Amino acid sequence: MMLEVKNLVKEFGGLVANGDISFELRRGEILGLIGPNGAGKSTLFNCIAGYYKPTGGNILFEGKDITGWPPHQVTREGIARTFQGMKIMPNLTVEENVMIGAFCRTGNRQIARKEAWEILDLMGLTGEAEALPAGLPIAVQKRIELARAIATRPRLLMLDEMAAGLNPLETKEIIQTLQRIKEEKKLTLFLTEHVMEFIMTVSERVIVMAAGKKIAEGSPVEVARQEKVIEAYLGERYAKGR
Amino acid sequence: MELAVQLIVYGILMGLVFSLIALGLSLIFGVMNIVNFAHGEFMMVGMYIAYLLSTFLPLDPLLSLPFAAGAGYLLGVVSYRLLIHHILRGPMVAQLFGTFGLMLFLRYLAMYIFTPDVRSVKQGILVGKTLSMGWINVDASKVFSAGVCVLAFAAVYWMIYRTKLGRALRATSIDSEAAKYMGIDTKGMNALAWGIGGATVALAGALLAHFYYVTPTVGMLFTLIAFATVALGGFGSIVGAFIAGVLIGLIMVVSGQFVSELKFSFIYIVYFLVVVFRPRGLFGW
Amino acid sequence: MRQLFIDIFFFGDRPHFERIGFLIFIIIVLVFPWMVTSAYGRAVMIKFLLFALFGLGWNLIGGYGGQVDLGQAKNVGFGAYATALMMVWWKTPFWITVIPGIVIAAAESFAVAYPMFRLKGHYFAIATLCVALVWKELFIFWDWTGGARGVEIPIRSGADFVYMQFNSPIYYHYFILFLFLLQFFFVNWFRKSKLGYEVQAVRDNEDAAASLGINVYRTKVINYTIAGGLGALGGSFMAVYYLYIDPDAVMPLDLSILIAMTVMVGGAGSIWGPIIGAAILIPLDMYLGAWLGAQKRLGIDFMIYAMIMMVIAAKEPKGVWGIIERVRKKGAR
Repeated sequence: MMLEVKNLVKEFGGLVANGDISFELRRGEILGLIGPNGAGKSTLFNCIAGYYKPTGGNILFEGKDITGWPPHQVTREGIARTFQGMKIMPNLTVEENVMIGAFCRTGNRQIARKEAWEILDLMGLTGEAEALPAGLPIAVQKRIELARAIATRPRLLMLDEMAAGLNPLETKEIIQTLQRIKEEKKLTLFLTEHVMEFIMTVSERVIVMAAGKKIAEGSPVEVARQEKVIEAYLGERYAKGR
Repeated sequence: MELAVQLIVYGILMGLVFSLIALGLSLIFGVMNIVNFAHGEFMMVGMYIAYLLSTFLPLDPLLSLPFAAGAGYLLGVVSYRLLIHHILRGPMVAQLFGTFGLMLFLRYLAMYIFTPDVRSVKQGILVGKTLSMGWINVDASKVFSAGVCVLAFAAVYWMIYRTKLGRALRATSIDSEAAKYMGIDTKGMNALAWGIGGATVALAGALLAHFYYVTPTVGMLFTLIAFATVALGGFGSIVGAFIAGVLIGLIMVVSGQFVSELKFSFIYIVYFLVVVFRPRGLFGW
Repeated sequence: MRQLFIDIFFFGDRPHFERIGFLIFIIIVLVFPWMVTSAYGRAVMIKFLLFALFGLGWNLIGGYGGQVDLGQAKNVGFGAYATALMMVWWKTPFWITVIPGIVIAAAESFAVAYPMFRLKGHYFAIATLCVALVWKELFIFWDWTGGARGVEIPIRSGADFVYMQFNSPIYYHYFILFLFLLQFFFVNWFRKSKLGYEVQAVRDNEDAAASLGINVYRTKVINYTIAGGLGALGGSFMAVYYLYIDPDAVMPLDLSILIAMTVMVGGAGSIWGPIIGAAILIPLDMYLGAWLGAQKRLGIDFMIYAMIMMVIAAKEPKGVWGIIERVRKKGAR
């Protein structure tokens, strides 16, 4: 088992953002996490990645209890992530951004640089290597974030809202890239999205969250049929009237 | 015992002046999240106004109070329009250096005009007079200053919490974006905060000049005292600044009694300890 | 080994014109004392190199690290006092006094960094300022430091390479140039090292840095410690150059500000920034100061400083180097 989340609870001053969430993530799988805005997806991500300390429950990564670990240790353990609102280092070039990811596993600049270039090549970013990220299109910035995360040599990659802000063509391209690197780097993927289409085509299995709770789990087709899920997305009236 | 009471009275009186000094800093920080390093220099301007009026015109330094407050208001508004407005959206480093530049500018402008000589207000009805209450002796000027500080503080408090203008100011402080959509002139509110900040601190300066010497470099120390006060009271809190000012006054007077060379160090240490261990101030949780 | 050598002494990653610029700069500072014979001109050059050196150290924390430190003068003071006191007490040779100076400054920085980096932005800046002022008051208060009277280093005759005392400014010129280059090449190595990149990542985005396996807190503390140690080196030089130090000379707030300003004006986070900043501010200060001093007009030099500072803050937070880069990018397009 790659990742086990057991009875995870996260409260913010009495407000329950994640209430008793449990699920498992198998090695090599692509698991999607969907739910409407405010369902608690990002909170769950931040708990696993170490940005929030869970109020209760456990997170096991490859059998090791990583509950409450700080983010940098989680990354060193083998879980990388991207951010919903992109967080690229604006004063460093694209190459340097990716190199810093590679520095996670090495102290040698030459090695870090070589690895960065391999990943830049894989992601189709060699043309932008010397540029500062600020002026680049969103689709390219998303790739930089992805490249940087992969450079830390993760076994589990968590992608927060990868398709947000992309047009359909760009979305398609990023899906292809994702599938390619998943094979090449033998990654397990865990993605969240509030846009259904993206996640339904990519994921092998999905978890549905609403109002801080897990309400469904299963293959995309199964889940999409469940009344609870439609209800959560479109409101009660729509589900009943259908 | 007598000494202790004397010290406490003196500490409270000084502390009330510190409260008024810190008020503007806290207000400005609360409204636009910027720290004004030139705050003590605004105070210095008030002090020099009191000095000038009492030395070169046959006026009592008390009459300089409205002039000092007015000049402080103008200085605050002009600083906002010419400088602060331009650095508000910039990186934090730029904000810091902007107000730091303002501080240096005012300080050395004073150096240029007045030379580094130590000056003091020599005459006035209150200067040098002592009030005796039983066995406690206090400077009349300090009692008066503390009184004016409380009044000024109360006036600003009333303005902020009881008037429409104050409500707009508070709205800007809570969420400047939202306030703008509500039709509040946030730029005007920012300028107003700087104006009030400048006026109150310059007023405190004119009062302080009654019993404290004036030099071009006097400001920095009071800026730091104000920082410590605002930190202790919680950044942006008006009531906190008031109570914290009194506490700082007491700390300074009492520590000064025992190790007078290090009395300012105690203030800096208070700042350091508070922001590190109680970042929301003594009263905030 | 070879790679380390390259990392320290080369600028392969920098554009051509920067490398040429650096070469020209090196030639100028090497021949300077033979071209300029006026004592004042040489003193200006020495002060320029000293502040460029201070700036290089501050650039680590303020430029690459993005943490505004307004207390670097305390480290200068530690270096200066370590050198001066050890020379007075035990007649220790200069090069040995440098080590405790750096170690003390680094250790103190490390100790205060731990609580202090719970703070950010303005709070941090004010805290650094407070710490430095407390040290200055303590150095005035204590007897063993000579108090406000300061410390005088016994004067030796002739050129002395053990105590680094010389009759001619030429020696001091090459002495400070050596220290400057030492620090310069250290910073050149640092900015390309793993730690250097980590520091910059933390400056740009702490969350992203943490997501890449960087311990944000530790990185800041180590960086602040190194920057503190570097500050002490220039302090040691000040002790033997001026032969007399007191807290007002080596630990004042003005020194902290001037050091930070040097970097801000030149361009924070660039290896050339401190050099450019010092090249602008120091001659301005010394020539303007001398000229205005003769006119008995105190303060105008600092008013001009202050104006530069405000304009830079409002219009060009990346300093002169930011302008150069922009112009060059426009030219390239």
